[in-house]
Amino acid sequence: MSEIWQGPIEKIDDYRWRIPKSYKPGMRVDGIIYADEKLLKDIRHDKAAEQVANVAFLPGIVKASLAMPDIHWGYGFPIGGVAATDVENGGVVSPGGVGFDINCGVRMLKTNLEFEDIKDKIKDLTCALFSDIPSGVGSKGEIKLSAREGKDILIKGAKWAVEKGLGSADDLECTEENGAISGADPDAVSERAYLRGKAQSGTLGSGNHFVEVQVIDQLYDRQACDSLGLFLGQITLMIHSGSRGLGYQICEDYSRDMVHCLSKYNINVPDRQLASAPVNSPEGKAYLGAMRCAANYAWANRQCLMHLARRAFERVLKMSWQKMGMFLIYDVAHNIAKIEKHIVDGKEKTLCVHRKGATRAFGPGHPEVAERYRKIGQPVIIPGDMGRNSYLLTGTKKAEEETFGSACHGAGRVKSRMAATRSINADMLLKELESKGIMVKASGRGTIVEEAPQAYKDVNDVVDVVAGAGIAKRVCRSRPVGVIKG
Amino acid sequence: MKSYEFLEHTADIGIRVKAKSLEGLFTAVALAMFDIACRKSKPATKKKPILVKLSSADLPELFVNWLNELLSLSATRQLIFSDFKIKKLNNTTLEAAVSGADTKNYKMKTEIKAATYHQLRIEEDESGWIAEVIFDV
Repeated sequence: MSEIWQGPIEKIDDYRWRIPKSYKPGMRVDGIIYADEKLLKDIRHDKAAEQVANVAFLPGIVKASLAMPDIHWGYGFPIGGVAATDVENGGVVSPGGVGFDINCGVRMLKTNLEFEDIKDKIKDLTCALFSDIPSGVGSKGEIKLSAREGKDILIKGAKWAVEKGLGSADDLECTEENGAISGADPDAVSERAYLRGKAQSGTLGSGNHFVEVQVIDQLYDRQACDSLGLFLGQITLMIHSGSRGLGYQICEDYSRDMVHCLSKYNINVPDRQLASAPVNSPEGKAYLGAMRCAANYAWANRQCLMHLARRAFERVLKMSWQKMGMFLIYDVAHNIAKIEKHIVDGKEKTLCVHRKGATRAFGPGHPEVAERYRKIGQPVIIPGDMGRNSYLLTGTKKAEEETFGSACHGAGRVKSRMAATRSINADMLLKELESKGIMVKASGRGTIVEEAPQAYKDVNDVVDVVAGAGIAKRVCRSRPVGVIKG
Repeated sequence: MKSYEFLEHTADIGIRVKAKSLEGLFTAVALAMFDIACRKSKPATKKKPILVKLSSADLPELFVNWLNELLSLSATRQLIFSDFKIKKLNNTTLEAAVSGADTKNYKMKTEIKAATYHQLRIEEDESGWIAEVIFDV
């Protein structure tokens, strides 16, 4: 990308940068980007900063239009954007602030296996995961739903899968919202959305979605690691997927409607993809009811995917998943809008918090955090690219004060798919990864190139910023050894 | 088929299409979208055409709705569309008969989630029509 964004960015401190609301008439609040000097250079290379400014136009937005250090150019909202609107004061909800892949998210499992003991089995495990987990464009799963179950899954979320024997009650406690956000309204979901998601439960999808076998290679917070049962050389798993076609269609249905809400509610935004409606309007309520259905579907989907991963491990290592200690650490959503209470200017407010490529990061003691994690704070899972690292962090009080309890969601793209395709050779990349001890299996060769490590920021730089700014705390880091891509 | 060009975008895919007429533009962009999504892997018989009727507030909205309608029909009917007969088209309404073959005859390349309004451009100049659109992939 040759064009450098020329808008104003003022340094607040080493990790925070301001786009003043005076930049464009219509901005209601400042934009604040979490980054260091190095990441800021990348951020100026596309139009993400302009999108941070555009989000500041949303009616009811409070404090600032925020961007995490993994921010990159999206459509409407930037990826890595956080925006909260005041529900009682005309605050809006925007389907574009959640995105098409509603509740795209990530879950992390631990095992009691040590890399040194099973390193000869990594190839078998990777192949088993690849053969057992349907992946790729338009993939279909073997988990079929009856018409009645279709509605059930939208309300019960991950619990639906657990009731079918695909996991345990313990898994639900370790999932954001216990795997099912309340207020889901299946009647707000179109027949077409339901049809588009049908037959896709338990499928990974494509693009940046993945399953990874990882090894913990750094411990930062011994106390948190001990309480989570994590140690150096331990095998862990990460699963990244979302709500598949159901979420795409719900976003499309409501974006189509809400374009008309712009004139109906006199909303002035510089990009139609920021189409929105007041949270308390019939359109806003219907969208949130439908969005929650997709969120619950995504939690059920990741629960099904985890079941398939556990089964693949059982098949290769000839032990039950319980015996291998394959327990869920946590599951977080990173594309979602949620109604939450936060303190703004000293007063508690009910806000609609949009996290578009951002992770909830509530600190210790927060009542929404599962009892077992209340001392250390909510686990925050940050996957990196397939050649470098991933992180487990915990949320902080500072995040609650500054970012509506939010942190980054990944490494963030720095190179377009086109640029990656032009400059990277798939065979050479696979060889290079293999020499680093990383085995990759993908449905399409195109995905391997598009998802190459060179296409992403270094997640270590991104995590340095959120940790430096104090909005999340490092627990441990892992490196990939087996990668399944869609 | 390659009557479109790619635009740089960090996370998604942007394209530019040109055509002599508005009908040609709507056809070209639909062909481009399915060309990005998949490649034909074996000869296929087209299924019965489906009638698409859309009305929107203006041309940009009609353009985005057209693409999203096709993506949605493609996903729910398991069809890849390759033939677009535009029967009626003005700034706010469209009627077209679209036909295609079963997805099993195609190798899927890219999952296009939706067409977006972000940086959408649809204009007429002295040489014809030009459109730019970014797809969420």
